[in-house]
Amino acid sequence: MVKQANYTMEKKDLQKFLGALASKMDVYAPVKTKGRYNFSRLKRGQEIELAGYSNTEFPPREILMPEGETLVRYARKTICEVFDERKKVLFGVRPCDVHGIIVLDKVMMGHGDMEMHYVERRKSTLIIALNCTEAGENCFCESMETDTLTGGFDILLTDAGERYHVEVGTPEGAKLVKGAGRIFTETLEKPVKPKPGCEKKLDMNGLPDMMKRAAKSKIWEDVAKRCLSCACCTFSCPTCFCFSLKHEPDMTDLSKGEIKREMDYCMLLRFSRVAGNMVFRQHRAERVKQFFYHKLVYGMENEGKSHCVGCGRCITECMAHIDITEEAAKVRKSYGR
Amino acid sequence: MVDEHTYKPNPAKVVKIIDETPDIKTFVLKFGKPADRKHFSFMPGQFGLFSLMGIGEAPFSMCSTPKDPEIKISVRNVGNVTNSMLTMKKGDLLGVRGPYGNGFPVDEIKGKDVIIVAGGIGFPPLASTVEYILQKRKDYGRIWVIYGVEHVNDIVYRSSASRWKRAKNLEMITTVEEKCKGWEGCVGLVTDPLKKLKINPANTVGLSCGPSVMLKFVSQAFQKLGIDDLDIHLSFERMMQCGIGKCGHCNIGDKYVCRDGPIFSLREIKRMQEEVW
Repeated sequence: MVKQANYTMEKKDLQKFLGALASKMDVYAPVKTKGRYNFSRLKRGQEIELAGYSNTEFPPREILMPEGETLVRYARKTICEVFDERKKVLFGVRPCDVHGIIVLDKVMMGHGDMEMHYVERRKSTLIIALNCTEAGENCFCESMETDTLTGGFDILLTDAGERYHVEVGTPEGAKLVKGAGRIFTETLEKPVKPKPGCEKKLDMNGLPDMMKRAAKSKIWEDVAKRCLSCACCTFSCPTCFCFSLKHEPDMTDLSKGEIKREMDYCMLLRFSRVAGNMVFRQHRAERVKQFFYHKLVYGMENEGKSHCVGCGRCITECMAHIDITEEAAKVRKSYGR
Repeated sequence: MVDEHTYKPNPAKVVKIIDETPDIKTFVLKFGKPADRKHFSFMPGQFGLFSLMGIGEAPFSMCSTPKDPEIKISVRNVGNVTNSMLTMKKGDLLGVRGPYGNGFPVDEIKGKDVIIVAGGIGFPPLASTVEYILQKRKDYGRIWVIYGVEHVNDIVYRSSASRWKRAKNLEMITTVEEKCKGWEGCVGLVTDPLKKLKINPANTVGLSCGPSVMLKFVSQAFQKLGIDDLDIHLSFERMMQCGIGKCGHCNIGDKYVCRDGPIFSLREIKRMQEEVW
């Protein structure tokens, strides 16, 4: 890869930059509503307020795998797959979530089979990442080594007081910078490495092997006693990719209809139910275990990358106050050698 | 413009319907385009995803062989999609995509004796296997087919089975769980006749498909006969939506049944980090 030049941008120019982008493509940025940030498509001239932005309530996965997206459209004599190839930009993605997108890329584009709907959407999506200055209450990205980025972004911004330091990651990112004209000034300065300073820790050293030894542990039953099986952890996880295909006939003309993607969650009882009402993960403890193991063990084995990126959303969203870092520490205490 | 497809099914026409039992029918399907059949070249044990537009999609293993020009699936009324499928008539269209999964290692086991144990509606992929073996009969040693059903009325593939019974060096045992009038065959579980077989364990492979709990006991019986874990191949059922290891439903441990299976050797199963039965 050719080493790309570094730039700086005045913070006051951010709005101008995003405004110019929004005239050319869909721009999704963190927008605050009812006290919480979420990725939302910017309307013409809409200003964003980043003071107090730690991270979005829900991960950028919802842009890359939108709930209810149409995959196939059919009529009496035709049937075709539908792809979203519209150019879009995801602005303000935190490093942990960029790592989450890297995981999704590996799952949806790897193992010899491409999920073409994800592929097309991903190919047409540019990522402008934003380094963290301060960790959120439940962040543990430093433990997961997802607090910094060496790739996965088109442009990476780092807060430098009155300005942003700008790194370019891809030729597409370079085009965005060039297209913005005088907003960006070339610089030789290197960005300051972000140090979010997470209070929560999750020691990954040797943890997958300990988890394997803990497969029949009482820890999971103990979690299951508190767990409500509400699926908020999976719903808010940036790497949870499970989905179902739903046939939706046009009720005014049954010869027409669509097949849609509906996100699905392994914490729900119905997730593993097959015809004949056989449920493979009948007990809540099995479903809890599936979540923890998929995040901390299976990802390492299948994609060579932990599916937990330390964003802490599952901790924030859990109504029963289940904390993956605490449970991992229990595994380490009982099964570490 | 995107050329590649992920979920688009190809239409196939129902050309024949065989009533197997009161709630099982076998559909003979012919693709509209010969190229679609060529694309759907499969091995015994692989599966396809079959859809009725507006109703839904479900996975079925083919009971026909790779050589047959038409493909055949047997459908039992167990849910929403199968219920609708059973109302199909000759000439109706069914969406087909695939094939998916790994299939039984039918070519790797040449030269060996083969024990095939099928339970209930787990028979189709094994029926395909039996036919495949019979097409290349001299490549394999002795064959046992043990087929278990709950009730005598649940027995499928009666005409194929009577043909298999006449085949050389093939022993077919059908066993029913519920004793009833007029049934002169075995009564009991599939594992009963299995345990009594006299085999050469070093040169025998065991293949099985059926309900989860049956697989558990069949695998134990295979082991008791002395068959190596690597020579025991079991076909698993899980919820499947995408067929390509992306939707997550068929996940067992770090494996995906649709992509890494549905057939796993007992050794692989023992290494899984989740209870499989």
